[in-house]
Amino acid sequence: MTTTPPDLPEAAGRRLEEGAFTSALTVPDFAACLQMGLEPVGFVQGFCVMQWQWYGMGSPFGGLGRLGGLGVPYPGGTSGYSERWQCPHGFVSAEHRGWGQNYEQTWIEDAWRTGFTSAYQRMIEEASAAGAHGVVGVFDATEPLAGQNVLEFRVQGTAVSVSGGGLPADGRPWTTYLAGQRLAKLIEAGYAPVSIAASVASVRVWANCITSYLTDGTSPMWAGQGAGIEIEQTAKAGMAVRRIARENVRSQLGGDSLHGASMSASERELGEGDAELQCILRGNRVRRFKKFDPIPVPRPTVRLL
Amino acid sequence: MSDTPKDLPAEAGHRLEELEHGLFTSDLSVNEFLLIKEVGFHPLGFVMGSSIYHTGIQTRKWRTSQELTKLTGAMYEARELAMTRMEEEAAELGADGVVGVRLDVNYYEWGKDAAEFIAVGTAVKAEDGRSYLNKLGKPFTSDLSGQDFWTLMQTGHIPLGLVMGTCVYHIAHRGLGQTLGSAGQNVELPNFTQALYEARELAMTRMQDEANQLSATGIVGVRLEEKSHQWGSHTIEFLSLGTAVAKTSEQVTLEKPTTIISLDN
Repeated sequence: MTTTPPDLPEAAGRRLEEGAFTSALTVPDFAACLQMGLEPVGFVQGFCVMQWQWYGMGSPFGGLGRLGGLGVPYPGGTSGYSERWQCPHGFVSAEHRGWGQNYEQTWIEDAWRTGFTSAYQRMIEEASAAGAHGVVGVFDATEPLAGQNVLEFRVQGTAVSVSGGGLPADGRPWTTYLAGQRLAKLIEAGYAPVSIAASVASVRVWANCITSYLTDGTSPMWAGQGAGIEIEQTAKAGMAVRRIARENVRSQLGGDSLHGASMSASERELGEGDAELQCILRGNRVRRFKKFDPIPVPRPTVRLL
Repeated sequence: MSDTPKDLPAEAGHRLEELEHGLFTSDLSVNEFLLIKEVGFHPLGFVMGSSIYHTGIQTRKWRTSQELTKLTGAMYEARELAMTRMEEEAAELGADGVVGVRLDVNYYEWGKDAAEFIAVGTAVKAEDGRSYLNKLGKPFTSDLSGQDFWTLMQTGHIPLGLVMGTCVYHIAHRGLGQTLGSAGQNVELPNFTQALYEARELAMTRMQDEANQLSATGIVGVRLEEKSHQWGSHTIEFLSLGTAVAKTSEQVTLEKPTTIISLDN
């Protein structure tokens, strides 16, 4: 009989105790798992609903919103990335954006990590309660909920047991975004899944005058000389947010490798001249357990369409 | 001529009667058709069932997260009616099962609280004369494509039925005190987490109960869908769907895949 951890709903325990297994695997993935000796145990899931404030505690603009910060450059001093741009024009008018700044929003990254990790741990608890050795075909999402400044983190997957296998040394089920033939190829290549790895990076861009003119298309001649020109502040923010995401994931790897990484970057406009760049990097932490075993030479094919 | 069940329209009886004379209709692709033939089944006809259902109303407490049991019941029964009618059409044809089932909900301008629940699929029959009716004596139903149906059979499993579970849940609104109490913080809202967690688990448990009634060994291709339909963002239906399967053989006859490289542009 399984034991339901206290922070999982009672229905979860009942579901995992009952006879029929549930699996989010497609039939081809299900077939490939059976071929590899992986038996589905159950669909497992974890969630975390979080209040989400872009100007929250830890923000240089404080917990009371942005009012206290208007027109005041962020002095820096956080542990993360920060860079400033000075206006080249001198005083033009009170509305002129005389300063600009990029800075890493470490409090957003910390909050994201809390939400993601909580949901992930709950999924692992479900898998452990079901006696699984691993979780395959993991998928995760972060979505706003009911328009209340609330974000829901979800992590779901299919728990499996390995025929004749045991738990990893640390007693926790391994996890991977892969399933089916993609997982089979990874194992054939000599790598075993350890865990999923995911991280977010968040960089806030307070545009200075040049950035503002160039991004909103109202560039006066002296801002861009009418020609194509790099928007340095935004370009640097874009590079920084990807670099930070890579570094955050790298810190989770120990001595292992990352396989099948996918990086998604997005921009969110929070106000005039105020944007957040966000980058989420996901991948599979894998560990070599045998030498590379070359796959058979592929057969060339042409479809007769 | 077969006796058309009372709750099917007369036109369905005429159409099914024609199908009994050998002509079949199907929404299978050519590839799906070939694979279903290869695994020993023959398509009999395109079958469907529908139900136009008034889903009613249920009062919600502004500050309370709770299951709306009347709406849960309505959403479940409406789909069950559509599925049952589709199964009746399949039984009329002497089918062993229905593959490629799609279960949709449509809303129309003429009915504010009414929705049409529709189930469609292709009825199939085993060519070797073996019966594949499930434990309830009904043709099996499955949302598997022809390719998936073929693959599943190679793993020593057969489909038993499309199983589902639903839970309509109202998410509480946050009060001013709650909002101010956590102003400026990015923190977990445990009550919300638990409420939504419970709703999803209830939907999945109900789906699993259906599978257990069929003596299934498992459910494959589980999907967890979330829709607010026309209730507003604070009321969500969690619908869990999958195909219940039973193991009939320990032998996996699926060959190890061959690696290929496409030379198509």
